[in-house]
Amino acid sequence: MKVVIVGCGRVGARLALQLTDEGHQVTVIDQSSSSFSRLGENFAGTALLGNGIDEDVLKRAGIEDADAFCALTNGDNRNIMSAEMAQHVFNVPKVVCRIYDPIRYEVYKELGLGVICPTIMGTDSVHETLLKD
Amino acid sequence: MYAIVIGGGKVGYYLARDLLERGDEVLLLEKDAVRAEWLSSQLGSVVLTGDGDEMSFLSTTGMDRADVVLAVTGDDEDNLVALQLAKKRFNVKRTIARVNNPANVRIFKILGVDQAISATELLLGAMEEEIG
Repeated sequence: MKVVIVGCGRVGARLALQLTDEGHQVTVIDQSSSSFSRLGENFAGTALLGNGIDEDVLKRAGIEDADAFCALTNGDNRNIMSAEMAQHVFNVPKVVCRIYDPIRYEVYKELGLGVICPTIMGTDSVHETLLKD
Repeated sequence: MYAIVIGGGKVGYYLARDLLERGDEVLLLEKDAVRAEWLSSQLGSVVLTGDGDEMSFLSTTGMDRADVVLAVTGDDEDNLVALQLAKKRFNVKRTIARVNNPANVRIFKILGVDQAISATELLLGAMEEEIG
């Protein structure tokens, strides 16, 4: 599978390494070159310096023939915009967009964007652990 | 006409000022409290401090009765999300965005914004007219 990831933070980098280990073809985009250090020295994928909401950068990352796209920057709006470009402009078959704000998450879920909300997932997980015997 | 302007930078300030001079009803949203205070001192009580993409805040702005919402912050992604919320959650008929990246004029239209304006594109156009 060919995957484009926007945002090389802790989650983006970890996911990129996991996917390349599994044999997938991965390109990670980030605006700061220092964040690519999270990928280590032997990263088997491609690290691309650039803005994940810039059409040209996304094209350079190979979004036009990507099978999957993940928006994992720290900004909800940035993730929403790049994921919507992937889904509606480039017709990527599988799109995952991280949205921290539960309200915006509900709105875009309703609109059919592939969204996950770590705030809700984290709360549920803590809640469950807390009430477990 | 009731116009909501999101983003009280230079563009938002002059836009709100001219709309008020024209006699329109205007609400200017600015997230920075210090900037909002200055805007209030110039324009009067038409400024609200808050985030243009926070749903709970937008609910207090009477957005559902706005004739037009203009998003003019310096960040394309913030303008897009604010206008998508305006359109999809508050059924605003007309949404207009300022975009920094000229390529986003086309992208914003695909993503449901009625009109997107790029200063770069306008400047390039003007330059070509001069040459042509």
